[in-house]
Amino acid sequence: MTDEFVPPRKRTGWRRLLGYNLLTALILAVVGYYVGWIAGHHVTGKSVAYFSDIDQNDISVFLAYILAVIGFLLGLGFGAYPFARVRGYPPSLREKESEGIGRYFSLCTDHKVVGIQYLFGIGVFFFIGGVNAMLIRFELLRPSMQAFPAGQYLTLVGLHGTMMMGIMSSAILGPFANYVVPLMIGARRMAFPRIESLTFWILMAAGTVLATTVFFGGFPTGWTGYQPLNDQANAGMDSYIVFFALVGISMTLLGLNMIATIVTMRAPGLTWSRLPIFCWGVLSTAILNLLAAPVLVAVLGMAMLDRTAQTSFFLPSAGGSPYLYENLFWVFGHPEVYILALPGMGIVLELLPVFARKPLWGYRLAVSGLLGVTLLSWLVWQHHLFVSGINSDLRPFYMLSTELISIPTGFTFLCGLMTLWRGQIRYTVPLLFCLAWFFNFLIGGLSGVFLSDVPSDTTTHGSFFSMAHFHYTIMGGLVFAFFAAIYFWVPKMFGLQLNERLGKIHFWTMFISFNSTFAPLFVIGFLDQPRRAVTYAPSLQFLNDWVSISAFVLGASMLVFVGNLVYSLLFVRLPAPANPWDSRSLEWQLPSPVPVHNFDRIPVIAGDPYDYGSAAPPVAVVPAGGVS
Amino acid sequence: MAASATTHGGSGGQNYGRLFVILWIGISVVATPLTTIVLGRNIPPGNGSTEATSQVLDNQVLLAVSTPIAVFVLLFLGFALTVFRARGPELVDGPPVRGDSRIQILWLVVTTTTVLFLAAFGTFELFDAAGAGAGQGPSPAFLPDKHASALDVQVIAQQWEFTYRYPGSGGVETPHLVLPAHTLIRLHVTSLDVVHSFWAYELGVKADANPGTDNVVYVTTNGPRSFHIRCAELCGLWHGYMFDTGRVVPAAQFASWTTAQQATFKPVQQYLPPYATTYLPDPQRRAG
Amino acid sequence: MSEVTANESAYEIVESEPAELLGRNLGSAGHLLASATAFFFLAFVFAYFYLRSLNNAGMWRPNHVHPSITLGTIVTALVAAAALVVRLGLADQRVGRRVQCRTKGAIALALGVAAVVLQIVEWESIDFGPASGGYASVFFGWTAALMLFLLGTIYWLETLLATAYRYRNVPHNNPPPGEASGDRYRTGHDIIEPLSLVTPGLEALTFYWSFLAGITVLAWVVLYLL
Repeated sequence: MTDEFVPPRKRTGWRRLLGYNLLTALILAVVGYYVGWIAGHHVTGKSVAYFSDIDQNDISVFLAYILAVIGFLLGLGFGAYPFARVRGYPPSLREKESEGIGRYFSLCTDHKVVGIQYLFGIGVFFFIGGVNAMLIRFELLRPSMQAFPAGQYLTLVGLHGTMMMGIMSSAILGPFANYVVPLMIGARRMAFPRIESLTFWILMAAGTVLATTVFFGGFPTGWTGYQPLNDQANAGMDSYIVFFALVGISMTLLGLNMIATIVTMRAPGLTWSRLPIFCWGVLSTAILNLLAAPVLVAVLGMAMLDRTAQTSFFLPSAGGSPYLYENLFWVFGHPEVYILALPGMGIVLELLPVFARKPLWGYRLAVSGLLGVTLLSWLVWQHHLFVSGINSDLRPFYMLSTELISIPTGFTFLCGLMTLWRGQIRYTVPLLFCLAWFFNFLIGGLSGVFLSDVPSDTTTHGSFFSMAHFHYTIMGGLVFAFFAAIYFWVPKMFGLQLNERLGKIHFWTMFISFNSTFAPLFVIGFLDQPRRAVTYAPSLQFLNDWVSISAFVLGASMLVFVGNLVYSLLFVRLPAPANPWDSRSLEWQLPSPVPVHNFDRIPVIAGDPYDYGSAAPPVAVVPAGGVS
Repeated sequence: MAASATTHGGSGGQNYGRLFVILWIGISVVATPLTTIVLGRNIPPGNGSTEATSQVLDNQVLLAVSTPIAVFVLLFLGFALTVFRARGPELVDGPPVRGDSRIQILWLVVTTTTVLFLAAFGTFELFDAAGAGAGQGPSPAFLPDKHASALDVQVIAQQWEFTYRYPGSGGVETPHLVLPAHTLIRLHVTSLDVVHSFWAYELGVKADANPGTDNVVYVTTNGPRSFHIRCAELCGLWHGYMFDTGRVVPAAQFASWTTAQQATFKPVQQYLPPYATTYLPDPQRRAG
Repeated sequence: MSEVTANESAYEIVESEPAELLGRNLGSAGHLLASATAFFFLAFVFAYFYLRSLNNAGMWRPNHVHPSITLGTIVTALVAAAALVVRLGLADQRVGRRVQCRTKGAIALALGVAAVVLQIVEWESIDFGPASGGYASVFFGWTAALMLFLLGTIYWLETLLATAYRYRNVPHNNPPPGEASGDRYRTGHDIIEPLSLVTPGLEALTFYWSFLAGITVLAWVVLYLL
């Protein structure tokens, strides 16, 4: 069997722009958009008075969006493989061999490239969502409407929430699980490399779709998209539906790929009890991704039918019910909350042993904690409906199940804290972010108990209290873990060091301004300020101004981070050693950055990655001779 | 790799453990009454109704339970980070402790007990306060003692205002919410268009207003006062301006007020639909 | 340089994988996809019973809302029959009767396409529309989603059939060079024997199609019989 690699003929001049790349993708997206737009008008026709407003023809808008996304994916080259399979050709894995900076802007099946794509792609949308938050806080400097008209304000709120919930669902699974999990489990690739790339590009298409909502007048529903306001809203709502459905598809496929990879691609000797805890965090998140996101896609499909085919899933006057939406949305929505929390737990538990120089304390307990949260997160969704007017008989059950979830969450706290006990703690930037995670998640968790308790929830539900609560768990949990992971793994990803002093400045400004932003919001919520309202009681202006100014500092702390990234990766370019943290985990035994094929030979795993305090060589043993 | 990987840093774990537990108990004993009394005294939503009072109690209990937990984690972090920090530049590993089943079991027992206590207490309060001011839907599960004699008041939400109907006073519909003091009231919250949420803050009442649904809340008012009403569920463009002020007045004043309202709104009464628990208008898809 | 890898490595050495790895991946993917599908359709099952029990405004199912049970039964029977034929084809493939397997695959493909066509005929000939209340909403939403999943499954079957057909004359041999898909720059294959893909692919597909047939039967029971 000979395999000749015939390098692609170098295109010259303008021809370099041909082929599958981002430019082709964008052109095809625009073409698809207009094809869909025209087709939509053709389908509905001008005779239907309801559709006569050209900017509000939902069928047209949906078709335009869907065809634009399909065109975008075809332009990137996602059509080539399915088309080859239709003609009966077997798959190839060689696509990951592409070179140069261009691979970051194309379909690349190298899991490390996809990880870095995710990191920057998510960063862009995180930035957009963050700017929206700044604008929201700017508006709330005064108790009455000042900077934005009411509709624009709601669009800002919706864009911020939807962007953050949708895009940041993959904030850790996207960049870090894609990059690190194959390295941790001793694999050369993910189980489905093309699907891996597809999840990323779908997510990018989705984010762009959502951002274009402003051209259709925005949407008024916030990230929950409650019905029947959703049915009532103008065409900007279509962007929300397409966005979230695409995110749902991306999440499902991401979860599927992660589970398949961890189940089938583990190196010999990597038993379940040796699997790094981060992989367990990824696995439990992936299970939720796989099962919860399809419910979201289904319920948004119903919403789309309501808006286009005139079905009445959610219209009570025509046989539907808004509660149907609320139930289905939260059947997805509550596991979604843990999709945001679990990878953070995984990262914190993974990093603590490295910086405490101790094995992970209570490995099995930590794993059962993660899996327990995964299981229980399915049984709690109706605590979002405590005041909704749904039948109240089951309230004690949902109160109990919601509070039960703090038991497995407590496991991760115990394991993390006990890992620190009698350790040799080194105060690196990643560790600081992990410690902040404990602080924030503690407050987030305790405030969650108030929301799970029906009598307390009566006042706190839908107020700034609940908003502060989930910012403590998501921003304080997920985003702090996200930054811990960045500071921890960027030396591996790029082979370059990040500046530690700037990192510490970033941490302290972010940590202090974060708490200064969100802690007063608990008080504001208790003092009767509802979420998403453009006005508030004048007596609350001082607290709101305090929060706004803190939020601006929080935003500025992100700029410190961006500055650090640019300064360290573009200007200083100090090479990082292969294992700067002296970790015993498998990915750090590889050179930085990791070569294309990861491992020359698939290693045989001889122990778990937390064997600190032992003189044995780290985890992996390379098989002598031969090729695995 | 680590310079001397087998050197175990730290020593006297038992003593540290004892010291930590003593510190924790000591601080908790001081901190718990402090937070419960200082913070808890002013904790919302106040005493506008018996439901609100029971919520205050609930919040105080949760605060009391939360305090030792918060003290535990924060003290642990502070303790571990000062006592167990690496000293000197060389890399030293900690002791290879991988767990302790006694601590795990103890933790499991303590957290489970706490959680079960909280759930039991919350459930008790839910029954005791007859739904604790939360909207219970058309067939409430948590009924107050004399629920049959409760005064019915309907709250109708629409984009973007609340109106109120008094079925006991000829179904008069007014833009003002006035309630009699020291009375058990059954609020029927419904909506004409999208989902709203009726939040009477000082009364400790929150109930979503859904089109086609009769969302019932029981509330027993205390003495005369005014209270804030806000919409707590995003309902479209002017959601931020959907607020109002209600009043609790003495019973006699309430009677004269309803009579006056009936007189004022008599001209429009004939155009209103008869009082019903829900009102379903024709499907209107693009009202906003 | 670390001991577990080197920077320079030959592609042929490091990337050739045992064929059973793909099989295992496909097998787990089939099961995972089925679980995701189950939760997707759970939303419709929930919608059906929820809206039915609420019967808001008496608009759950106005009297004229009755889909054609004949067409519905035929569609369901076709999907179920196709699942059975795929299963028989897998049995053939396992014992090496590749011609019979291809024939059965083609039959299953035809049955699947016929099911989709008949479903479209049913939508066209039905005497109520998606706007006719709760039941109509669920009916159209559920059947439409089912057809989308069915089309995806038909595509999957087609790829396996095409591979089996393309390499029908190379029993235990390498395919001619230059046929590696998705890669314009090389002549060889990652999969030394493309036909080795067919059996694991067919196994995963058989499971998934049977599962989808189960959902179709469930839809039939719920939408037509209840």
